[in-house]
Amino acid sequence: MPTAQIALTAMVNGLAIGLLLFITAAGLSLIFGMMDVLNLAHGALFLTGAYLAWWIGGEQQTWPSLGRAVVAVVVFGAAAGGLLSLLTAPLSRRSHLEQALLTLGIALVAADVLSALFGDDVRATEPPAGLAGTVTVAGWSYPSYRLALVGVAALLAAAVYWTVERTSLGALFRATVGDRDMVAAVGVDPRLVRGGVFVLGSVLATLAGLLGAPIYHARPGLDTTILVLALVVVVVGGLGSIRGPLIAALLFGQVESVGRAVLPGLASFLLFGTLAAVLVVRPRGLFTLAPGGRR
Amino acid sequence: MTGINRRTFLGITAGLGVAGLTGCGSSLGATAASGGDSNTVKVGLVIPQAGVYTPLGVDIQRGWDLWLRQHDGRLGGRRVTTVVADEGEGPQTGVPAVQKLLQNDRVDVLVGIVSSATALGVRDLVTSARRLLVIANAGAGAITGANRSPYIWRTSFTNAQVAAAMGRHLAARGVRRVYAIAPDYVAGTEAIKGFSDAYRAGGGTIVGQSQPPFGKTQDYQPFLSRIQSSGAQGTFCFFGGAESVAFVKQYAQFGLSRTIPLYASGFLVEGGVLTAQGAAADGVLSTLHYTSELDNPANTAFGQAFRAAYDAAPTVYAVQAWDAAEVLSRAVAQAGAVDGDSLAGALGSVGVITDSPRGPWSFVEQSPRQNFYLRRVQTRAGAPVNGVVEDLGPLDPRA
Amino acid sequence: MTSLATTHPATRPRLRPAVRNATAVAAGTLLLAAAPLYLAPYATTTLTRILVFGLLAASLNLLVGVVGLPSLGHAAFFGVGAYAAAFSALHGTSGVPALLLGMAAAALVALVAGAVAVRAGGVFFLMLTLAVGELTQQAADSWESVTGGSNGLYGVPAPTLSGLVLDQPATTYWYVLAFFLAGLLALRLAATSATGVVLRGIRDSEDRMRALGYRTTLVKLGAFVFAGAVAGLAGGLLAAQQRLVTPADAGFETSALALLAVVIGGTGSWWGPCLGAALVIVVRDSLGATLDGHGPLALGLLFVLVVYLLPTGIARIRLRRTAP
Repeated sequence: MPTAQIALTAMVNGLAIGLLLFITAAGLSLIFGMMDVLNLAHGALFLTGAYLAWWIGGEQQTWPSLGRAVVAVVVFGAAAGGLLSLLTAPLSRRSHLEQALLTLGIALVAADVLSALFGDDVRATEPPAGLAGTVTVAGWSYPSYRLALVGVAALLAAAVYWTVERTSLGALFRATVGDRDMVAAVGVDPRLVRGGVFVLGSVLATLAGLLGAPIYHARPGLDTTILVLALVVVVVGGLGSIRGPLIAALLFGQVESVGRAVLPGLASFLLFGTLAAVLVVRPRGLFTLAPGGRR
Repeated sequence: MTGINRRTFLGITAGLGVAGLTGCGSSLGATAASGGDSNTVKVGLVIPQAGVYTPLGVDIQRGWDLWLRQHDGRLGGRRVTTVVADEGEGPQTGVPAVQKLLQNDRVDVLVGIVSSATALGVRDLVTSARRLLVIANAGAGAITGANRSPYIWRTSFTNAQVAAAMGRHLAARGVRRVYAIAPDYVAGTEAIKGFSDAYRAGGGTIVGQSQPPFGKTQDYQPFLSRIQSSGAQGTFCFFGGAESVAFVKQYAQFGLSRTIPLYASGFLVEGGVLTAQGAAADGVLSTLHYTSELDNPANTAFGQAFRAAYDAAPTVYAVQAWDAAEVLSRAVAQAGAVDGDSLAGALGSVGVITDSPRGPWSFVEQSPRQNFYLRRVQTRAGAPVNGVVEDLGPLDPRA
Repeated sequence: MTSLATTHPATRPRLRPAVRNATAVAAGTLLLAAAPLYLAPYATTTLTRILVFGLLAASLNLLVGVVGLPSLGHAAFFGVGAYAAAFSALHGTSGVPALLLGMAAAALVALVAGAVAVRAGGVFFLMLTLAVGELTQQAADSWESVTGGSNGLYGVPAPTLSGLVLDQPATTYWYVLAFFLAGLLALRLAATSATGVVLRGIRDSEDRMRALGYRTTLVKLGAFVFAGAVAGLAGGLLAAQQRLVTPADAGFETSALALLAVVIGGTGSWWGPCLGAALVIVVRDSLGATLDGHGPLALGLLFVLVVYLLPTGIARIRLRRTAP
């Protein structure tokens, strides 16, 4: 296989993984950046999305079953987001540390429930006809589903970006962060805004789980793997914007893909090595708003 | 901080109360075994019940339970009490579980252990307690090699042994250039070394090798590209659990399975992972010391009983536990005692087991010398199975 | 949870506090020291593990409770200390020199990591320390010639004291207890010293301390290294007790459990985190093994309950009628 093709494969792959990572991390970043809650149960939401995809579609997804699965993960994500909002509300004045321990506990309980419901075997699901299989262009082979994923994830990413940065709903979210009382004064219940952010963030996580199911396969332990990746992306991207996680997710997509191909001996160290390197140079992440702003 | 006051007292006392789950006594002097009468034996079954290795734990328990059920709940004539403890994912939970079985439940014999790190980590505990441990899975060479204890025997395999069977076979078949890939941890390294040594001895060339991060790799594309450009005629791999599903599927998705055949240590396609791999696993060739499709009377009977009891096909993990019960029973009967020294002595003279579902095997250096089978993934009655292609003959544990 | 000073009741005229405290410390120590005489071997072994983990939690408490630096990677130094001590023991030097080596190695790694980490604040400190922990665990996994890779360092010889091999539950316990007490004393001295006052000042308002002329980053780094060294001592004790060190000992789960122990116990005292450690170890090791695989569920519920029910930790639960 010529070098150019290897490079192309690695970069397209990095893009697919990176965009999927962004959708996962965007939810975590919204909840953390806006509501100041470090939600360590985020990985469990992703995993639940992946399990639901398998549960509804079985080992071979069809287009109708995929449609049902999308509805199911959105409904479940919204419900779980609402519940998380209620569970963490009493802790809003306590430290990040205690919120982290609470949500870590919720994640452990969720993992046990998932294993009781879906078993401990790997639950793989194949994308529907037309997306399964391999695309071959002039001798260059690439899995169709990943190509489609690039398109779908890019659309979803654009929608999230637009909602948060450009709409009045996004403005309301951002205003709540800046001044809770002000939002209340204009007649909007901050608790509703809080719930809304949790719902949006959780739905993004379960959707990402659905999209990632054919690549990552639902299984015990996937929740932690995804959580760690998403945390790294959020922190490297910096808080308070949606652009930061996007750039960071695309960066880590390439790190995990091109980086591992170029430096196979250091593959294990790439993720956290990059995190440490970025934070040494920029101790507040790549895109955190100017110093003096929120931490 | 003004130091300890009365609350501290209560606190420490409470702490001690919690710690003293077993009640009181004294820790001076040696710990005795259960001290039960000569008609019973207490067995501690250490298996993963939580975490990624749980499916293996389930199969081990099934093999163990099935053997006991078919033998009136007796090992060598003694009634068995089984105490199960959760090994978890590694020694952080596995070592305390063994400690609990030895010191709290005072079992006579230990069976199980999936993780090699746990098996190696409990060596001193088991040895100083002078109790027998029969390993039903963990495959590190050191367990019965460099880190040997007279009290630790195994009915499973060594990582190198399983891989060497494939290395020897491929070299003999005239496959000249192979790429080797396995996760970056001790078992993966042992598999690559076992394969490479046997393969090179037969005249083959390793054109490249990779060790992706263990447990942290979801995407094998960077490694698959290296395999494609290496000019290999085949790929040898060793993966288990979720990694085996991801690797086999991506190997097919990126189009490698059409041009570069996949050869593997049998764990890649053993048990529940085979169903999850689906069509991507079709035609994968692997070596292992068992497959549910083996045609011998013992396996036919075992397979029927297993399917009747659990509505699932038996796996190598279940057979390893089944055989652990079998050799223990013989040892107990022969020794007439259940202390570690007597049992270890009896195991040493147990000879060839001729009626195992896996075919004949015997202990060499406390680990099985056994036949290996070349297996091909095919569909039978709508379900994927590992059909027998060829009996590759016996291999020593130190292959 | 803002101060380490436990307020004392004014209504206790019988004994002067200092005398009462000294008596309580002596009695508590005696009770602990005599434990193997009245506890069965398994309870003694469990108590030994609790002491090891308790010292780790107490050293983390110096960062969380006194300096206000919640670290998600404190197990890195625990792991480094354990590996260094185990490596040394496997190469012929066990006992106290191995412990010292573990402390030194942990302090060195903490110095390098801390130089980067203490400059960051808030969640970035959390994540940098998480990275330190993950990188350390990865190094332990990868550096097979020294660390034994994923199988870890096993068969670590038991420590010897003037020719006596300490490999029985009781002897191991006393060995660990001695250094546990020494470590706790060192932590306490550090927190009550003049530097300790500065550290608490930094926790409450770093800007003010800087304005007062303190080089706060340097002071924080010192605390980070000291806590790392004590964690390294705990690691050395782990190597002596478990006689096995694996990468997971340096990993995220160990760090998270240590933080849980601190939060359970409350950051307001030194014995609180040790009690928290007791609860964590009992739930994970003794209870977890018997729950048919639902050990993680029990731990998860523990996390949740602690955060809701013990907002200030066990140490602040009132065990007497009179209000403080």
